Parts: sequence; structure tokens; C-alpha cells
Amino acid sequence: MAMTREEFLKSSGLKVKVLDVWIEQEWLLPERTPSGLRFREIDVARARLIGELQSRIGANEAGIDVILHLMDQLHGMRRALAELRREMGEPKR
Amino acid sequence: MQNPYEVLGVPSSATAAEIQSAYRKLAKKLHPDLNPGDKAAEEKFKEVAAAYDLLGDADKRKRFDAGEIDASGAERPPRQSYYRDYAGAQADHSYADASGYADFMDGDDIFADLLRRSQKARTNRRGEDMHYRLEISFADSIAGATRRITLPDGGTLDVKIPPGLVSGQTIRLKGKGAPGFGTGGPGDALIEVDVLHDPRFTREGDDITIELPVSLSEAVLGGRVRVPTATGAVTMAVPKGSNTGTTLRLKGKGAPKRGGGSGDQLVKLKVVLPGKPDPDLEAFVSGWEKGKSFNPREEG
Repeated sequence: MAMTREEFLKSSGLKVKVLDVWIEQEWLLPERTPSGLRFREIDVARARLIGELQSRIGANEAGIDVILHLMDQLHGMRRALAELRREMGEPKR
Repeated sequence: MQNPYEVLGVPSSATAAEIQSAYRKLAKKLHPDLNPGDKAAEEKFKEVAAAYDLLGDADKRKRFDAGEIDASGAERPPRQSYYRDYAGAQADHSYADASGYADFMDGDDIFADLLRRSQKARTNRRGEDMHYRLEISFADSIAGATRRITLPDGGTLDVKIPPGLVSGQTIRLKGKGAPGFGTGGPGDALIEVDVLHDPRFTREGDDITIELPVSLSEAVLGGRVRVPTATGAVTMAVPKGSNTGTTLRLKGKGAPKRGGGSGDQLVKLKVVLPGKPDPDLEAFVSGWEKGKSFNPREEG
């Protein structure tokens, strides 16, 4: 279920300026469509995570860059592992 | 809920900075998104977060210390989901990143192969173009046609063949290839068309040449004959005194041109005598004086 920019701002509680910066930094990668940006649930969850890293964990901009990059790689590896397990015929739990 | 000071592991005399530092240490260890594989992390993190909600806020901490509110008052509504719930489950989101193991995919072992396959299913990627071959008759290549091809997966594809197509030409059906992944969109179907040879017709550019056998009397006296064309037989007048090699032009009966209109069909006549010797013809020719002095091997 895609959200418009306005819907995303409402759902994530982000400020417009913050959203623009995060998109520019490629922390958020909404889909670009002819009728504007389209956001998904995963973007809301990611925005919440970025907010927490920033305000509560105290990561700075460079830190968030690194964390997000490594985290996405970690998820990539987890998916690859899950895929391997499936391919090798292990029953799914 | 437990005593928030115990949860964060700080004495009740801790400064705000100490509380924040303790929380950050624990959050780094327990945040579900920093521990995507640890199912228990979420519960533990919730407690820590609730404790910090209470103690990290000077006003709330004061009221808690004064006994005005208890720890449960700070409990937050259960959070619905973390980033890991999306990033882990969906294969096709825009944050997917294989660079953590891309080097493992280079090998030719089974492990690399499995990884490559799983990788294919993950990133936003346009579907592959699918290549097919299709044989059509010469007549269809001139007139155009619609042919249905059956795909390896059992599906079918209707291929519209434009009039005038030549052998080896490829028809592209946008979006009819393999499905894409994520936002990639499907690939195209590329159908290479082979035009089957028809022994009667030879195509040169937009013109079609045909060799048409005519009888001696049709050649000498002229007449109307039926001529096959790519789009069906037509009647054509053979002028009196035609010969083998005489080429007649049927306007517009060739292949359609790109910009509109059509080429011509060139009909090359070939005079053919009856297959069996004919006594009447022999008698006629032996009485034909001029025929004896005509030598087609001499010029003029």
C-alpha cells in the first residue's frame, strides 16, 4: 500500500524539512512516480529507526550512514541465508 | 514492570548523563533493528526503552522518585513493528543490498549458484528479454498475419506480423518477456521471424520476381493467364510475341513498402514446349521456312 508524501509525513511524524534531507542523503528511497513520491510501510519503519538512532542512541550523520549501510547488508545476507535454507530443502519453521 | 533504575543498571543517584549513557549502551545491544536475528531482543529492549522514557525525562523522573507515578505509567503502547520486520521479509524493497556477500556469488560452486539465484529474486530488476523464433510462410510475410506461439511455460503469445517483413527481422513485444522484480517491470519478447522459402517467389527489395511458364501459343499469339502472387492469383495479359525472358510488371503486387505503397511483381516468362513430342507441331515447324533460318545464337 503506497503512501503519498503527505500521508507518509503524517504516518511517520517527520517534519517536511527532515524528510527532504533524509531523501537527499538517500537514507530513505521512496519510489519516484510521475505523480510524485510513493512511500511504503518499510519507509515508515526505516524513518522511525533513523529517528531513534539519531535522538536516542545518539548516532551522528556519518554514524547513521554507516549503520544503515551495514544493516541493509546484514538483511541482505539474512535473506540470502533464508533462501539458501529453502533451496536446500530445510523445512521452514 | 521492574524498577527502571535496575533495568538500566544505574544507581538512583545517577546523573542524567549517566542515565543516557546507560540507556545508549543497552539500546545498542538490544535494539531489535541492531539485532535482527534475536527474537528476544524486542522484549528486553521494550523494558529498557520504557525505563528510559521515565528516567530520561527530568520531570517524569522527579515524579517517579517522589512516588507520584509508578513504572507502569511509563509503559508505551506496544510498538507495531521494527524496520527488521520489513527489511527481512520483503525481497524486493529498495534498500536491499547484496554487497555484503557479492564476492561469494562469483564462484562456480553450488553455494555461489544458490546465492546468485536468490539474488536474482531480490533486487529491483527489469525482467529478462525472452527470445523466440517463428517460421512463417512467404505469403504471410507479404500480407502480414497474426500467429500464436506457445511459450515454454505453457502460455501463449499472439504475434502480429507486419506486412512486408523479411526473414531475420525481429518483432519486439514490449513487456511480454520475463517478469521483473520489484519495480523493474517485465522484459520484452523478441521474436525473430524466419520466412520459409517459397520456390515460386524470389524477393528483391520490395519487388517479387516469379518465373511463369507459358505455352508456345500463349507466347506467340498472346493471351490471358493466371499468375500466382503472394496475395493470391491474378489474371494477366501476355502480349502477343512474348518470349522466354520477357518480363512483365504487375504494379503493386510486390511487398508493402515502409512508407506506404507496394513494390511490383515481376513476371519473367518462360516458353515451354509440350512435354511429349507432338507430330502436329513437328509437321508445322518443318513447314515453317523462316524458322529454319532464325539462329538465336547469332546476334542481330
